[in-house]
Amino acid sequence: MEINYDLEGIVFDIQRFSIHDGPGIRTIVFLKGCPLACWWCCNPEAQSIKPIMMYQIGRCIHCGLCLSVCPQGALSAQNPGFIDRNKCIACGECAKICPTEALVLKGKTMTIKEVMDILRKDEAIYRHSNGGVTISGGEALVQHEFTTELLKACQVNGWHTAMETTGYTTSEQALNEVFTYLDLVLMDVKSGDDETHKKYTGVSNALIQQNARKITEKARTVVRVPTIPGVNADEKSFRNICDFAATLSGVDTIHILPYHTYGENKYDLLGRPYRMGKTPSLTQNQIEILKDVVESKGFHCIIGG
Amino acid sequence: MIARGFSNPTERIEKLKRVILDATPYVESERAVLVTEAYKETEGLSPILRRAKAAEKIFNNLPVTIRDNELIVGAITKNPRSTEICPEFSFDWVEKEFDTMGSRIADPFQIPKQTAQELHDAFLYWPGKTTSDLATSYMSQEAKDCMGAGVFTVGNYFYGGVGHVSVDYGKILEKGFRGIITEVVEAMEKMDRCDSDYIKKQQFYNAIIITYTAAINFAHRYAEKAMELASAEMNSARKGELLQIARNCSKVPENGATNFYEACQSFWFLQCMLQIESSGHSISPGRFDQYMYPYYKNDPSITKEFAQELIDCIFIKLNDVNKTRDEISAQAFAGYAVFQNLCVGGQDEEGMDATNDVSYMCMETVAHVKLPAPSFSIRVWQGTPDEFMFRACEVTRLGLGVPAMYNDEVIIPALVNRGVTLNDARNYCIIGCVEPQCPHKTEGWHDAAFFNVAKVLEITLNNGKAGNQQLGPVTGDITTFSCIDDFFTAFTKQIKYFVHYLAEADNSVDIAHAERCPLPFLSALVDDCIGRGKSVQEGGAIYNFTGPQAFGVADSGDSMYAIQKNVFEDKTMTLTELKNALDANFGQPVGGKNTLSIDTNEMTTEMKVYEVVKKILSTNGSIDLSKLSDEVLGMGSVQNTCGANEYLKIQGLLNRTPAFGNDIDEVDMMARKCAQIYCKEVEKYTNPRGGQFQAGIYPVSANVLFGKDVAALPDGRLATMPLADGVSPRAGKDVNGPTAAANSVAKLDHFSASNGTLYNQKFLPAALEGDKGLQTFAALVRSFFDHKGMHVQFNVIDKKTLLAAQKDPDKYRDLVVRVAGYSAQFTVLAKEVQDDIISRTEQSF
Repeated sequence: MEINYDLEGIVFDIQRFSIHDGPGIRTIVFLKGCPLACWWCCNPEAQSIKPIMMYQIGRCIHCGLCLSVCPQGALSAQNPGFIDRNKCIACGECAKICPTEALVLKGKTMTIKEVMDILRKDEAIYRHSNGGVTISGGEALVQHEFTTELLKACQVNGWHTAMETTGYTTSEQALNEVFTYLDLVLMDVKSGDDETHKKYTGVSNALIQQNARKITEKARTVVRVPTIPGVNADEKSFRNICDFAATLSGVDTIHILPYHTYGENKYDLLGRPYRMGKTPSLTQNQIEILKDVVESKGFHCIIGG
Repeated sequence: MIARGFSNPTERIEKLKRVILDATPYVESERAVLVTEAYKETEGLSPILRRAKAAEKIFNNLPVTIRDNELIVGAITKNPRSTEICPEFSFDWVEKEFDTMGSRIADPFQIPKQTAQELHDAFLYWPGKTTSDLATSYMSQEAKDCMGAGVFTVGNYFYGGVGHVSVDYGKILEKGFRGIITEVVEAMEKMDRCDSDYIKKQQFYNAIIITYTAAINFAHRYAEKAMELASAEMNSARKGELLQIARNCSKVPENGATNFYEACQSFWFLQCMLQIESSGHSISPGRFDQYMYPYYKNDPSITKEFAQELIDCIFIKLNDVNKTRDEISAQAFAGYAVFQNLCVGGQDEEGMDATNDVSYMCMETVAHVKLPAPSFSIRVWQGTPDEFMFRACEVTRLGLGVPAMYNDEVIIPALVNRGVTLNDARNYCIIGCVEPQCPHKTEGWHDAAFFNVAKVLEITLNNGKAGNQQLGPVTGDITTFSCIDDFFTAFTKQIKYFVHYLAEADNSVDIAHAERCPLPFLSALVDDCIGRGKSVQEGGAIYNFTGPQAFGVADSGDSMYAIQKNVFEDKTMTLTELKNALDANFGQPVGGKNTLSIDTNEMTTEMKVYEVVKKILSTNGSIDLSKLSDEVLGMGSVQNTCGANEYLKIQGLLNRTPAFGNDIDEVDMMARKCAQIYCKEVEKYTNPRGGQFQAGIYPVSANVLFGKDVAALPDGRLATMPLADGVSPRAGKDVNGPTAAANSVAKLDHFSASNGTLYNQKFLPAALEGDKGLQTFAALVRSFFDHKGMHVQFNVIDKKTLLAAQKDPDKYRDLVVRVAGYSAQFTVLAKEVQDDIISRTEQSF
């Protein structure tokens, strides 16, 4: 198998020792870029494919070091959120000098080789835990060529490969290639109702549903439902999702991923509003009811993945 | 289903446990009085015979105490969890603390008026006669200066006995004390009167016979006491138990054990008497499962339940033993630690897996007893059964901080590299905190000193000065250095200088023990003392080491990397700027709170934001984001305070420099190099017993205490703050998760730190839930060991619990944590040690 180790992609995080995204202990590679813009997205910095600056006022000691290194003059105490996002080119010079990491650059260009060097560090843990590597995002299908090469590189090491995906892509090549190298697909399904889907994710679910059929033909797939109060955290929506999942080939497991607000503060750092407002978390009881729905439809159900 | 759960302990065990938990530790005076009388009566005799006479007097006269509900008997003190005093090693610190030991922060002990008076009278005999007096007289002023400045301390054996040994329990279980006496008599018969060392050998053998005859009597006194109690006992069940105890004590340890119960009683007497002979701690049972198993397997009548209860009783007894130390050492060893290390699992001498029923029963006992002692360890190798590993993880999940896990694949070759035979190395056990040795053949002198590598780095940065004192050699003004190698060259010279005096100080103490306190009871149980006719202290053991342990390795490595990156690579500061910032403690009061720490900074900013929001809301009724940011930033006076912020900026740059613990090779190699410089220097020295020095890297809790002596460092650490713990990354600096941290730690050369390394990882209980949690945990350990880590132990507790326990200690008395190498009740730790535990990275998922 030919692998192009020099191929570059935009990575915004590599998270080791992950235990909720596929079997065993895994390293997750988060790639930038996503065609969806879900209201509850906990990685909003990943939506744009370009690197992006984040500013955390609480860490800032106002030393002024960054002001002198910014080539764009994008930084000023007068700017709302400190960074003028029209001027900022995300070169990261300010982040390099910032003594308190109040300024952080999210997203960097890495080659397959550079990513593999990090993934390899936990080879022993994959072996002992029957774990492996999970590609996530953003939507990894946006950078499908990079994803394909990365998955190939993982597979030649014998590592188990998984991917978290929305299933959204217009590229036939992406569908044909990426899923060939996956041992497990963790496929997000948000809503069976297209209007709801459009409202909360910004795209129709028609393409996603169509792709899902192709994906499940190619690789073992688990359906994961980000379970959001007011969007799909009700029995009707869940029955709907289960009915859809039942039409997919070989899907026997559904994960309920309860809504959380861990990503909320990132919206502040990006100078963007958080559209979920003060949505409360789900109670254990609510989750159990939904789990019953899933199980009554004949699926194996895991909470939290 | 992997998890098996744990059974409940018997009612008896609950009661015995309660006695320990409710105990108020006392200092008692009997031993001190008896040893003083014996020494007064034996002036003019050789040291070994004086020791024998002292042991004889103590074993014949120490009060006999059988506590309610006990099945295994033998106590050092009348009160549970209390301590006797050994003035022959040192005493003045006890006298100094007569009025304060009951109320001090770390490990208080009550000293009643009458006890204090009796001790005072006994102490009058000792000035000038102790091992510590003799050691002091042998040490150079330079060595004393180094200790005074906090570069190292040899306080452990300077103030007390050496301990740190695992004896031949198996031999006593098999042959009894009579067997020792017979062996000695045979050795005496073989001697030739014209041998050059005949006289000394003769005295040594006589000393053993005197000591063991009295030791047999000690057990017989328990038999008599049990008979006496039995005759007065109204409860027939207890009466029966007491009669059985009487039969046991009249038989063992005088003779070999013939069943499991006798073996347990024999084991305990031995363990107890070793700790009566000397104040040395870390008297470690070692491979308990190996020498006990034959008596379990071959006992036709014992039930598994009763055998389990007996092991439970032994574990509780191990908690009855206590030691007091001077106030400073008490802080360093906080938690009433006695370090009796008991280990199970691993390979046998032939390299086959040695896990047996008793190994598993000990794990069950840990769950039953839930007390700090013993320091419970498991040995792991590639052939360790998964079942055993998962069971160990299940015990870990209880949150007791045990077992500590040791890697055969590193320790065996590391010991072989030190000249231990392959078979002996495979049979290693763990002593004290983390120190491996071949049991009953080794005088390891583990824990020989604490050596503060970070302090040496500070001295290096100051051209050999500690404060205003030119303590080390002049190695150059660092502002003239042009690359990181210049720093390493200077640092190496300083290490060399201080290790030299460390060796001198250790050897002074070593000789003092040989000359004043050779120990006949212990020596008969360590090969080949009887064969060679000399005590352990005089070189009678087959393997002899001196193991001084370093700490501050991560601090030094991170400091070196911070200089390399910020000064030489990124050029964000000059050496002069760095030096000024360090000298100024980054502009902050020494011992004050780090204002750059995100917690406090965030809090104050949040308060500011809150104030502004309130103001805007009260005037406008709505918030304009741009206005908010203007106001907040305006308050901080953004650009015009650069001067005042200069130190903070430098500290910030240093703080954000990647640190050891994140699996970044170039960073981790700096820590490896710092550790190696120390290890390689240490192993150049030899001790008076004819053995080699070997380094360890573990701090007990000295990292907190000795941090107080260290000024600001280039890793951004402020003066007086705690140093990193063992080989662990600095608190809060391992941000890439537990596998990255473990990989970093494994990159140190654990083979050359053959006196032991210590790695703490802390987990929230949530991380280990369910069978997947056990599998995850086991995988973590196995892969850390694949990477050649030597030791790992886990604290599985949440921060909230710890904070709550700080506030309400009474409610959390059974909360046991692993404090750097041992378990202690969290609530008895000094506040600062508690804080240090809390601030260690919580690996969350």
